[in-house]
Amino acid sequence: MTDVASSTRRFTFSAGHRYQVDAWSATENERAFGRLTIPHGHNYTVDVTVRGPIDATTGMMMDLAELKRVVAETVVERFDHADLNADPLFRGKVPTTENIAIVIWDLLAPKLGLERLARIRVFEDPTLWVDYEGA
Amino acid sequence: MSVTTPARSHRVALTRAYHFSAAHRLSTPALGPEENARLYGPCHRPHGHNYYVEVTVTGPPDPQTGMAFDLRVLDAAVERAVVGEVDHRALEDVPLLAGVITTGEGLARAFFHTLEAELPHGTLAGVVVQETAKNRFEYRSGA
Repeated sequence: MTDVASSTRRFTFSAGHRYQVDAWSATENERAFGRLTIPHGHNYTVDVTVRGPIDATTGMMMDLAELKRVVAETVVERFDHADLNADPLFRGKVPTTENIAIVIWDLLAPKLGLERLARIRVFEDPTLWVDYEGA
Repeated sequence: MSVTTPARSHRVALTRAYHFSAAHRLSTPALGPEENARLYGPCHRPHGHNYYVEVTVTGPPDPQTGMAFDLRVLDAAVERAVVGEVDHRALEDVPLLAGVITTGEGLARAFFHTLEAELPHGTLAGVVVQETAKNRFEYRSGA
């Protein structure tokens, strides 16, 4: 049994989006996505989970102040009160909850390290959330 | 920008939460009335809950639509096959729960098997039943 623990910190941002495949006509988009093609927004909640051994000196798996700083700079400042469809990360990609989770993973993995980043959970609202673990 | 490796499948798990209210009582046909009352205590009396059901499906997002699962399909299946069957009913009278002792874990297992037959093969990963804010039961694929 290794001395490994997980820590999860919650972040929030509010952003606008719409479901639209640029290559499709308005009718095709309407058929595929219904009302989701209309620009709208959500209060997103993101749970970032890191995993690793507990440091013998500090008793911490990771300094949560560092986690808070990294996620704030990398994710929250970028997406809060932003139009997700206009972000280059979503060029040619619909900003679904699924893709938002993967994009956030890709933003954080280089900063936190794949050995530490364990899971991204994105809530679009309290009834819908997506987990991505880098698989 | 990305640490993408060609090996990644981008498999995500998508969870949707649903709600219903229903009456139930715990009772096993294996025991008589007195033994049932002793085993289940207050749960043997007819009562009810505001249930929350979390349904998790997994898969890679479609490269074009970005969706791992069409929520309209998921919502329609869960509403038709589960919520519409149990909402404002006595759970012991519901056909899909015939022979089920309606514990939280029993409901999670029954809903899982009902939905497994409704959803595309291999997509359903798990069902959570929350009976009260203090009780949470999970049944997962392969469990």
